[in-house]
Amino acid sequence: MTMEITIMRNILDRNQDKAREVRELLVSKNIMMINLISSPGAGKTTLLERTLETITGRFRAAVIEGDVTTDRDARRLQRFDIPITLINTEGGCHLDSHSISRALDSFNLDELDVIFVENVGNLVCPSHFDLGETFKIAVVSTTEGDDKPAKYPMIFREAKAAILNKIDLIPYTNFSPANFMSDLRSLNSLLPLFEISCTRGDGLEEWRKWLEEQIAGRVRT
Amino acid sequence: MHELRIVEDLMTIVRKVAEEKGLKKVTKVNISMGKLVQIVPSLLEAAFNEAVAGSVAEGASIEIETVAVQLRCRICGKTFTPDANGFECPVCRISDIDVLNGNELFIKSIEGE
Repeated sequence: MTMEITIMRNILDRNQDKAREVRELLVSKNIMMINLISSPGAGKTTLLERTLETITGRFRAAVIEGDVTTDRDARRLQRFDIPITLINTEGGCHLDSHSISRALDSFNLDELDVIFVENVGNLVCPSHFDLGETFKIAVVSTTEGDDKPAKYPMIFREAKAAILNKIDLIPYTNFSPANFMSDLRSLNSLLPLFEISCTRGDGLEEWRKWLEEQIAGRVRT
Repeated sequence: MHELRIVEDLMTIVRKVAEEKGLKKVTKVNISMGKLVQIVPSLLEAAFNEAVAGSVAEGASIEIETVAVQLRCRICGKTFTPDANGFECPVCRISDIDVLNGNELFIKSIEGE
């Protein structure tokens, strides 16, 4: 006899449960974890380099590098002499909370203030998988076109701030700052936006200042 | 591509519930998916059809119910559905909202014998 069994459970509960565990662990250790999400080539690794150049003087940082197959991004960050763990997803399009939990085991969490997670380059999948991070940062670049907020609304809703990289290249592209802003603001009017150029240095001061304020203010009383 | 991973997690739940309830065969899986969830239903269905092979749900069908988006303005409290103006509140003309519906991704029930 056919019967229907009611379940009503979030399909991604397994990831969500682990993410909750990770978040509780990080809170107990007073560590901020920042999940950087972008398309491939938006400049996440370069942004991390520019960020670590100043932030490592004030805070104890570590990096979890999500990479599909290589260790090239992780190697680029070796000069900073900070703990780096590489997660190769072997073709997988996102990191999940279980791989982050294993990566955290390789750090001494008593000696860290902030962990940067460089997610796999992809604007869709990573936004579905909570890693237990403190917040997400959406990174986009002008060479990708101005339609990213309209096409991938979820990440611009969930991020704590957005970065528009490669603003020095605007004259060589058909990127319309007005279209970008109008789409972004219609999704999230109050989202802090940093317009930067990692190669020329524009806007980096504002970004670092904001970020340092977030890290410094992380202590929960 | 995350459709594959989602189906893996879905099948873990299906197998577990089928075993607990003593089902010999699962014939249908009913799921609910919000419109903001960036999942391609046809890819999810294709991944599901692959994943059920050799399992208790071999040959089962999947029904995907779509949940419309409903937002609430944090400023004036108005509940609305998004339109060409994105997520902007039709009253305040600003987008500072909570998503009430549209982010769902859950398994509602399974049918079997």
